[in-house]
Amino acid sequence: MAFEKELEAFQRRTEAARAMGSKKRLAERQDAGLLNARQRVDVLIDAGTFEEAGLFARSIRPEAAGISPTDGVVSGFGRIDGRLCGVNAADFTVLGSSSAEVHGKKQAFVRNAAAQNGHPVINLMECAGGRIPDIMGAAGIGRAGEHSRYTRTRTTPTLSAVMGLTYGGGAFACINSDLVVMRKGAVLAVSSQMATSVAIGEEMDPQDLGGWRHHSEGTGFVDAVVDTDEDCIAWIRKALSYFPDHANATTPVAPIPPDAEDAVAGILDLVPEHRGKTYDMRKVIAAIADPGSVLPVKDRFAKVAVTCLARIRGRAVGVIATNPMFKGGALDPDSCDKIASFIVLCDSFNLPIVFLADTPGFLVGLESEKRRLAGKIMNFMAALELSTVPKVALILRKSFGQAYLNMGGGKSDTTASWFTGEISFMDPAVAVNIVYAVKREDDPERFEELAKEVAKETSAYDLAASFMAHAVIDPRETRSYIARQLDIFSRGLTNGVGAHRLADWPPAF
Amino acid sequence: MKQSKVASEITGKVWKIVAAPGTQLAEDEPILILESMKMEIPVSAPLDCKVVEILVAEGDTVSEGQAVAVIEG
Repeated sequence: MAFEKELEAFQRRTEAARAMGSKKRLAERQDAGLLNARQRVDVLIDAGTFEEAGLFARSIRPEAAGISPTDGVVSGFGRIDGRLCGVNAADFTVLGSSSAEVHGKKQAFVRNAAAQNGHPVINLMECAGGRIPDIMGAAGIGRAGEHSRYTRTRTTPTLSAVMGLTYGGGAFACINSDLVVMRKGAVLAVSSQMATSVAIGEEMDPQDLGGWRHHSEGTGFVDAVVDTDEDCIAWIRKALSYFPDHANATTPVAPIPPDAEDAVAGILDLVPEHRGKTYDMRKVIAAIADPGSVLPVKDRFAKVAVTCLARIRGRAVGVIATNPMFKGGALDPDSCDKIASFIVLCDSFNLPIVFLADTPGFLVGLESEKRRLAGKIMNFMAALELSTVPKVALILRKSFGQAYLNMGGGKSDTTASWFTGEISFMDPAVAVNIVYAVKREDDPERFEELAKEVAKETSAYDLAASFMAHAVIDPRETRSYIARQLDIFSRGLTNGVGAHRLADWPPAF
Repeated sequence: MKQSKVASEITGKVWKIVAAPGTQLAEDEPILILESMKMEIPVSAPLDCKVVEILVAEGDTVSEGQAVAVIEG
C-alpha cells in the first residue's frame, strides 16, 4: 500500500495522543469514580460530532514531548443536543492540566473561534496551576500574557464545570464564565494549598480553601453544586437549553408541558395573608413557571434573593425575586451582587426578566453599612437601568422604599401588583416610630391609630390610580399575565435582541 | 450525636421562643421567632435535631451571626 509507513506512523501518533496520561493515573481516576477528559467529552457531545483541535499539540519543551499528549487539554467543537459548541476539557492526567503555552493557545483558539462564529463554549475544568518550569523566569511569565484570556465580552454563552482541583488559570476560566457548576469534592482557588502553605505559612484543607460549600454559600462564585461528573455535564446541558447560541439570537422555545396551567390555581395557599408572616417564594415561582423548568442559580448564596432560569409557556426567562423566608425578604449586600450579576447574564443573552417583589426593603444596619450596602444598591440599579431586555415587575404583598425601584418597580417595561400589594417609602409601622416617636409597646392605641393614618394610600390600587402600576391582578392570573406581557414587550424591531450594554460588565463580584 | 450552635441570620429582637430545651425538631422547624424589618423571621433547625439550650430570652436583641441556641443532632 502506498504511504504505508506514514499511515502506520499516523495511526501510532493518533493512538498515543488519544491515550492521555499514564495508565496509573487513568486507573486512579476510574477507581475514584471520576471520568477522564475524553470520557467527559463523550458524555457531553453528541456521538460522532466531535471535531478535535490540537490532538498533536504538546509541550514546547522537547524533554516533555513524550509526556504531554494534547498538552493537557482536549479541545475542539461538537454538538450538544444538535447545537454546535466549543469545548475545552482539561486532562488532569497530563501534567495536571497545568497552564502552559500550547495548553493556553489551544483554549484561546476554541474561545476565539466560538466568539467570532457564534457558538457557546463549555469548559470542563481541572488545573494544577501554572506549569513549572514553563512559566518560570521573565520569558515564562511574559509568554503567559500573550494570549488574551482575561477580558471577555459576553457574545456567546460560556458555561464551566469545576470537576477537580482547579487552580490559577483554570479557576480564572471558570470565574470568567456565565454560569459555573461544581462537583462536590472539587476545589476552585487562585493557589493550591501547597503553594498557600509555603507563601503565607497557612495550612489548610483544600475544601476550606475552595470547596463547594465555600463557593456555593460563601463567595457565590459557583451557581450550582452536584455530586458526580455525569451530574456536572447534565447540569451544563440543561443550563445551555435556556440560552441562544450567541447574543444576536433569541432563546430556544421549548414545548409547553401538559397541565402547565394547573399549579398557579393554588397560588393563594402559598402566601400568608398576614404581611409579617414569611413563606417560601420558590414555591410561588414553581407554581408560575412551566412544570420542571426552574433552574436555580446561586441558590445557596444570598438566599434573600432568588435568581433562576425558568420557562413560562415555553419561553425562557430569568426570574429575580425576594424570598421572605430568609431575612424576611430584606435585601442585603450579597443579594444585591447576586441580582446585579444575574441581570448582566439575562441582558447579555436576551432573556426577559420577571421581578417578583415581596420585600420590607433593603436590610439596614451596622453590618450592612460596613459591607458597603449603598454601593451595592447602586451597582444593582446601574445594571437594571443599563439593561435592555424586556422586564416585567410584579409586587406580591409589599415593596418598600428604594427596594421597590431596584426590584423593577417603575423601572421595567411594565409594573403590576397583586391586589394584596402595599407600596410606600417605608413600612408604615417604622414610619410611626420615626415621624411621631411613638412605639407600639409604649402606647399601643395611639400607635395603631397613627399606623392606620400612615398606611393610607399605600395599596396596589393607589399605585394603579396614578398609572404607576399598569395593572392590579388576581394572583391566580400571574402566569397568564406575565406571558401576555412578554408577548407585548417582545422587542420586535430588533427581533428580540437587546443592546447588550452590560456585555463588558466585570465578570465577578 | 454532635452538638452545634444555631446562629441568627439577621439582627433583630427575640419575639417568641417556640421550642423549649428537650424539644425534638425536624429540619426547618422553628426554634424561635425574631422580629426584624417588621417581619416575623423564624430561626429554624438546620437539621433534624433536639434543642439542648436556648441562649437568649424573649425581648433580647440579637445580632447577625449571634448564636441563639444549642442543638444536638
